[in-house]
Formats: sequence, structure tokens, C-alpha cells
Amino acid sequence: MALLEVKNVTKSFMNEKKILVLDNISFEANEDEFLAIVGPSGCGKSTLLRIIAGLETPDFGKILFHGKPLLAPTLKITMVFQHFGLLPWKTLLENIELPLEIQGLGPKERRERAMRFVKDVGLEDFIDVYPHGLSGGMKQRVGIARALALEPEILLMDEPFSSLDALTAEVLRKEVLDIWNDKTNITNTFIMVTHSIEEAVFMADRVIVLSARPGKIIGDVEVEIPRPRMKHERDKKFFRIVDKIKTLITKHSSTVAR
Amino acid sequence: MKKSTKRYLVGFIIGLVLLILSYTYVMTNVKNPEIGNLPYYTFRSLLRITTAYILSLVFGLSFGILASMNKRFSSIITPTFDILQSIPILGYFPVAIMIFIAIFPSAIGLELASIFLLFTSMVWAIFFGVFDAAKSIPVNILDAAKSFNIKGFQFIRHVMIPAIMPAIISGSFLAWCDGWFFMIAAEYISYAGQVRSLPGLGSFLAKSTYVYNDVNLSIIILIVVTFLVIFINYLTWHRLTEKVSSYMPLIKLGFFTIPHDKKIKKRRFTLQFKFRHHILSKSKRRIYTSYQRIISIIIVIIIFILVIFSIKVPTLEDIKKSIFIPEISKLPIYTFFTLSRLTIAYIIALAIAIFMGILAAEKKKFAMIFYPLYDIGQAIPVLALFPILFVCLSQTFGGRLGLEITAITMLVLDMIWYMFLNIAIAVKSIPEEMREVSKIFGFKGMKRIKHIILPAIVPAIVTGSILAWGTGWNTIIFSEYMPYGKEVLSIPGLGSFLDKVGYEEGNTIMLIFILSIISSIVILMEWFVWRKLLKKTEKYELET
Repeated sequence: MALLEVKNVTKSFMNEKKILVLDNISFEANEDEFLAIVGPSGCGKSTLLRIIAGLETPDFGKILFHGKPLLAPTLKITMVFQHFGLLPWKTLLENIELPLEIQGLGPKERRERAMRFVKDVGLEDFIDVYPHGLSGGMKQRVGIARALALEPEILLMDEPFSSLDALTAEVLRKEVLDIWNDKTNITNTFIMVTHSIEEAVFMADRVIVLSARPGKIIGDVEVEIPRPRMKHERDKKFFRIVDKIKTLITKHSSTVAR
Repeated sequence: MKKSTKRYLVGFIIGLVLLILSYTYVMTNVKNPEIGNLPYYTFRSLLRITTAYILSLVFGLSFGILASMNKRFSSIITPTFDILQSIPILGYFPVAIMIFIAIFPSAIGLELASIFLLFTSMVWAIFFGVFDAAKSIPVNILDAAKSFNIKGFQFIRHVMIPAIMPAIISGSFLAWCDGWFFMIAAEYISYAGQVRSLPGLGSFLAKSTYVYNDVNLSIIILIVVTFLVIFINYLTWHRLTEKVSSYMPLIKLGFFTIPHDKKIKKRRFTLQFKFRHHILSKSKRRIYTSYQRIISIIIVIIIFILVIFSIKVPTLEDIKKSIFIPEISKLPIYTFFTLSRLTIAYIIALAIAIFMGILAAEKKKFAMIFYPLYDIGQAIPVLALFPILFVCLSQTFGGRLGLEITAITMLVLDMIWYMFLNIAIAVKSIPEEMREVSKIFGFKGMKRIKHIILPAIVPAIVTGSILAWGTGWNTIIFSEYMPYGKEVLSIPGLGSFLDKVGYEEGNTIMLIFILSIISSIVILMEWFVWRKLLKKTEKYELET
């Protein structure tokens, strides 16, 4: 049994008229897997992630987590947000500690846990700083640490690098891969939504490709490039996979246009 | 014809028909010797408020633009205006009457005094709205104007005016509402032991209680006035707000910047809120240097002295006689009483406003009730409620206690909308992502309110509180002292002391003295409580 099963998920939004956003999406995510979902903008990939997170309910279909239907957000699945989603009135450390406190951890325990993840993302020197005093890259590191500190089974990431500048994004991608590779971590299943095909291929084991709206699965591509990927990002094979996904998307959009 | 234009016209026709029907109904069915004058009174009140509005528009616009273009001018004028703005208008009204009547002894003097009162109630919203908007025109637009050599009048016409249009409209809307607020105080004046009234809806409303003792009539007039206010707002400001919203820029609300979106167009209330909140909160975030503060205080003191001198150059003996009246020893206890009333009302209003604001923003069901309630609530000129409330409450509680409860109730009714408005919009503007964060990480119920919602609305509470206290002073000056028929009913406090000194004794020097005490309290609170709080929140503010 897969860790997470997405079964026939269909979702539309009402906006003057009904707009179909996700059309019959089904796939599975396995333990230890790094999964990426790519697609052109407006294809509903973020909506799909929100449905997996339990933030939205599908019109049809369901999400199975450990084989049981998922109806509301659970602390076993946490999320990293595109715009970081930090509370501006809490310091770096408080931002990470707060969900732990709400979950019922004692002061000592949550401080230890939070500090462990602060160290993982290398922000020990900034724990008393408020978010507005942090750079974009630091903020996203806090976002990641906060999500991981709950020790979820699945980490969801919604365009985690797209509000960052290119250089910071590159560094952070590698850091995220290191965290995922670290087998001492409880969290080892990552699902990331992105519009960058290169990013998806660089990071993921498997790339789910969505079409333009309404989002349908038009490809499920295994990325058989050995890790660490930094050594292989100039390989022909890397570009072949990128091109394959690109062709899939273009081909599909052109049929729509016609 | 556009759909929105059609809708607007239909609204106009329905409103007009309803207005005519209600006037005819009231005039044929209510028995009162003055009821036939209702249309005339309406006309006079509208004329008065419109004159005052045009004056303040001209003044606010020209000074606002000038101040925005000349740094030296603005560094003196804005802090000075900020102090003048914080002096309760009703406090210096007796002096204004004295001066205007001295210059024009006939009814014109009184009319001018009342227009002056309305003018001072309106002008600041427009001035500060225009000034802040003109100051915040993006640099790239200014650069573009420079590179195309757009200067002088061309610049004002093609760059400045369109850029500040939203501010002009929202400032005008605010000013207009303030004008209605003071209507009753401006038209029904007890001065030097005798009541003088100007023809108008406000004085008719006052007379219906004080002279005719007819509460039913008061309520009818109040309903007519409220309906008229809403109808005129619909015809003018709401429509204009919708029109300029097409090029509205981003607006910063509390911590968050929310972009202009098309959907908002349909939600008139949200839009209105955005505009008004913007203007209100911005003007309270200005920071002055201590040099500017000192200069502005000196200027205001000079103005005070000039006012005293313009009536009569006082000798030292005069000053002594005016200040050392027997009642002066009671000043501390009066201050304490008035501050207690304000504080009690403020706490009640704040609690209700937070509760209502959160509910309105979070639950559609409540929004459907609270927003229209807000629209009506802020359209009712609170001061006009005074006679009616008093008559009802004094029957159960007796004169003194009745007046006490009336004063506090009026304060609550007056303060609540400013805070409700600010809070509701701040809760609404919490970004979607922040809400998702709270769901993902399991913030629920009280935890969610404590960690997400309350901290997010702190800046809104502060700006709302500043406004609430500002308007509260006027209300308390008005409602501690009541000319009821031939006698005067009052409760001890700074407001009634000021009214007594000003209206009964014509003691200008003492009046200015009390007024300076009130203004000092207002300004000290602003500098040492509100701005400190705002500064604290800035520490963890989100960047735009």
C-alpha cells in the first residue's frame, strides 16, 4: 500500500460560471519518495496540493493516507508555503515553537526540538529576530524548519523557491535535498509543486506532469538520474528528461489551442 | 448604457421616490406648527453643509497640494494642523460664535459661525487625505512627468489630481459624514443665557424634544435625516468610490498589503472600507521631530492668544479674574470624571467592536447583518440621538443618572464604528496563506484568535482607538451639558465646565485654558500611548 493515494480527484471553482480546475487526477506517493508536480500556470497544481493537505475538499474522488480517507488537515502532513507564511509578530524561534506548543509539547521539549531544526537550516544566530528582519532565503528556511519540526510523514512544498532570487533558490534546493537524504529525519516523503521543469527534474524521483486547465495527468516521468544530482545537472540525460516533459506540455497545450 | 450606470439610475429613482413619499407622509400626518417647513429646513441644512464642504475642499486641496510640493512649508504646517485637528471642535465653538457675532451682529454671524464649525470639522480629513496621497505618488511617475517636461498647471491637472483622486473622494466622504455629525450642535445653540437656532434639520430635531417635548417627532426626524444621509452618500461618494477604484493602487492595511482586485468592485462595503481605512490610518502614522513638535505647539499657542486678543485685549487683572473663579479647584475632579466616562465607553466599544469585527470578517452570515448596520450606524449623526436617548433614559433613571447613562451610551455608539471598521477590515485582509498556515499547524478556536487574529489586528485597534478618542471628546463636550427647555441640566466634568464657561459666562480666557488642558490630554495620549503602540507593532511589521 502506498503512503498516499490520490484517487479520481476532480475539483471546480465557481466564478461567474463553473470552471473545471482538476479533472480526474489519480496517482500514488510512496514512502521515501521525492515527488514533483509540474504544469503550466493555472493548471491547478497548487489546488491539488491544497487538497492533499486537507485545506480544500475535492468535488469528487478522495485522498487516502495510510489507506484511510483524509478529510481535514493532519499534523502528519505539513506544508511549506510559497510566501513563507510566517507570523510577523513572532520571532524566528517562536514561529517554529508555536505549532509544537499548540500540539501540547512542554516548554523544554519544544525548545529542544525547535533548536534541532533551527540548526539543521543553519539559523542559530537569528532565533530572536522577527521575520521582517530576515532575508527571503532565511524566511523560507524558517518555513521549512517549522514544517519539519512537527516531524510529519509527508512534507508538502508549494512553489517553495519561486519567491526567492535565483542564487538563493539554488542553494536552498541543495539544502532541501540534503534534509531529504538525511535518513535520521523522520520525514522522508516530499511532495513539491513547481512550474520549473528543471527544478522538478533536479530534485525529484518522479515527476507528475499536469496539462493546462483543466489539469489532467499527461505524464508520470521517472527521473533515473543518480544522486547527488549536482554532479549530473549538465548531463545529456538530464536535458533529455527535461525536454521530454517540455514536449509533453507543449504538445498538450497546442492540441487545446487547436 | 453600462450595467452599473443603469443600476445607479434605478437606485436614484427609487431613492428619490421614497424620499418624496416619506416627506409627504410626514408632512400630512404629523401635527406640529413647524412641520410644513421640513423641505425648507432640509434645503437650509444641505446648503450649510455644502457651503462648508466646498470651503474645506478648496482649502484642503490647495494647502494639501502645496504642502506636498514644498518641504519647508509642510514641515511646519502638517504638525500644526495635526494639533489643531486634535482640539475638539465643540470646545472652541463658543469662541467662534462670540467672534462672528461681534463682527456680524445679525443672524448672519450665527450662520457664519455654524458654517465655520462645519468647516473645521471637515477640512482636516480632506487636507490630510490629499497631502498623504500626493506625498505617496510613486517616484517613477514623478520621474516620467519630469522627463516629458510636464510642469506647473499641466502637472497638477494630469498627474497630481488623478493620482490623489481616491484620496479626495474618501476624504470628502469622511468630511461629509463629520459635517452631519455636528449638524445639531451647529444649528441649535444656547448662548449667553438664551437659545438661538438656525433654520435646519438639526435645530428642528433639537426643538422637537426641548421645545415641543415630542419624542415621536424626534424619532421621525431622525429617520428622515438618516435616510437622507444614506441617499446622498449613495448618490455621491459610493458612486465616485466605485468609479475611481479602477485605478486604485495597492493598499497597506495594518500588516498586510492587499492588491486591488476586480472582484472587490462588487463588494461595495469592502471597497469603501479600504478607502476610508487607508486615509484614517495613514494620517496617524506620521512621525514628527521634536523640533517640529515644539514649533507647532508655539504656533497653536500664538493662535490661541490671537483669538483672545481679537475679542478684547485682556489686562493682567482680567486674566486673574477669569482664571481664578471658584470652580477652578474642581478642575482635577472634573478631569477625572470626564476621563472615566471616556474610558468606560471606550472599553465597552472596543470589546463590542472586536467581537463584531472578527465575526463580520470571518462569518458571512454576520457580515450580512453587520455591514448594513454599519452603513446605517455611521450615517446616523450620533449627536442627533442625544435628545431622544435622554428623554427615554431619564424616564427610568431620573435626570442626573439618565444624563450620565445617555452620555456613555452616546460615546459607545460614536466610538464603536471607527473601531469596528478598522478591525473588520484588518481581519479580512489577513492573507489567505496565513489562514492556511493556521489550518496546517492546527491553530483552532481561541488559539487561532490569540496567535493569528488578535496580533494581526493590533495596528487596526490602535488607529481605530485614536479616532474613537478624537470623536469621543466632541461627544462628551456635547453631552455633559444640556439646555433642556428653560433650565440647563449638566453632569460634572470638563465638558460641562467648558460649556458653562463658554456659553453662559462668555469667559473666553477660561475656556481657552480648559481647551488647552483637553488638547494636551489628547496630544499626550497620542504621543505617549498610541504612537508608542504603533511603533511597537512596526518592529515586527511585514514589509510591503
